[in-house]
Amino acid sequence: MSVQRKVVIVPCSGIGKTYGTVSREAAYEIVEDLRPKDAQLVALSMLVLGDESTRAAVAGNQAITIDGCKLACASKMVKENGGRVAQEIAVLDVYRRYKQFKPNGIAELNEGGLHLAHALAEEVAISIDNLRSKNKEGQNA
Amino acid sequence: MPDLPKKKIGIVSCSGEELPEGTVTRLAALKVLEQLRPADTVTICLPLFLAGGEGDRAFAKFYPTIAVDGCELRCAARATGMYSSKPAASLVVRDIVIETGLEKPEGRRHLNPAGRQAVEATAARMVALVDGLLGKQWDRRAGEFVQEPPNPEPQGLGEATCSCGLGTPIQKVQIEGQEVTLVALPLIFQQFRQAGKQPSESIARELLDTVKIYNSVPEGMDIQYRAVLLREYSAFCEKEPAQ
Repeated sequence: MSVQRKVVIVPCSGIGKTYGTVSREAAYEIVEDLRPKDAQLVALSMLVLGDESTRAAVAGNQAITIDGCKLACASKMVKENGGRVAQEIAVLDVYRRYKQFKPNGIAELNEGGLHLAHALAEEVAISIDNLRSKNKEGQNA
Repeated sequence: MPDLPKKKIGIVSCSGEELPEGTVTRLAALKVLEQLRPADTVTICLPLFLAGGEGDRAFAKFYPTIAVDGCELRCAARATGMYSSKPAASLVVRDIVIETGLEKPEGRRHLNPAGRQAVEATAARMVALVDGLLGKQWDRRAGEFVQEPPNPEPQGLGEATCSCGLGTPIQKVQIEGQEVTLVALPLIFQQFRQAGKQPSESIARELLDTVKIYNSVPEGMDIQYRAVLLREYSAFCEKEPAQ
């Protein structure tokens, strides 16, 4: 019996900038609404502190990181902890494609921020589907 | 009296995504940073202690820091201690929920009423700690701070002050043949220069007083530190002409 693997979603959840909140909201939308069976959330703080189950999840699955700023903490931390980053997403890059959704607010996102998070989540959902398809092809080959 | 850099309190929340209590820490920290004590607090993203450079890791040395965690794993407190400096104070939301008799917070994405109450209770605890760490005392009769020093920065709704990517300025100096890292020294030099202070023995004493706010100076080393600070400040003034 093969174990059903999930794509690990790691948002930076940066607290000082709107884009950090967008990364967090998008991650919740992916794992709760769009792809609950195919994606799982990993808390960056647990990974940073070396929690065993979190490290195992990151080591055993492909990861998609979502970063709110150029420091790319989520991406760096996953790589430094032995994870395979299938896709690195910078919220700012996504915003450049959806400039009509101007995010504002950190504790509570404005409408533009929620729309941006949704657009980002939709893109990640497609990436997850592609990763799953590739994995199935690889298993069948 | 030297023009001291304003003392602020650092807030580091775990912001754990997996638990409602993690969301409570994030929202409570933001309430303090944006609404309750914006002029007195500053924050940094927890993972930046690892991903960032030496300046980022000096955060908790530069600012007395309150770590706010959702659960007993205490990721924020541990990471702050491991990669920066021991937090001045530490809170755990689950402890506050039990102590205040609140129901269990639910809804990591959208908190339930108990979660929102936990945000208020946690923010209130943080404010008390911030005020305590800043040396302020609340006069219950007068309803104001006791002997509160004049504060030019108005309290009220504001933006959370984030240190991500900015780092805390540091400078390495040689003292008695040892390399010593002094937190905030470039900033202190800059402020002294802008105030028109010329290098001298008396200014060296003022510099040392200011340096001691953010750095631990070994006992019996004041003379050596003053000499080095005077030398470094003289060099700084040569490079940075007075405006």
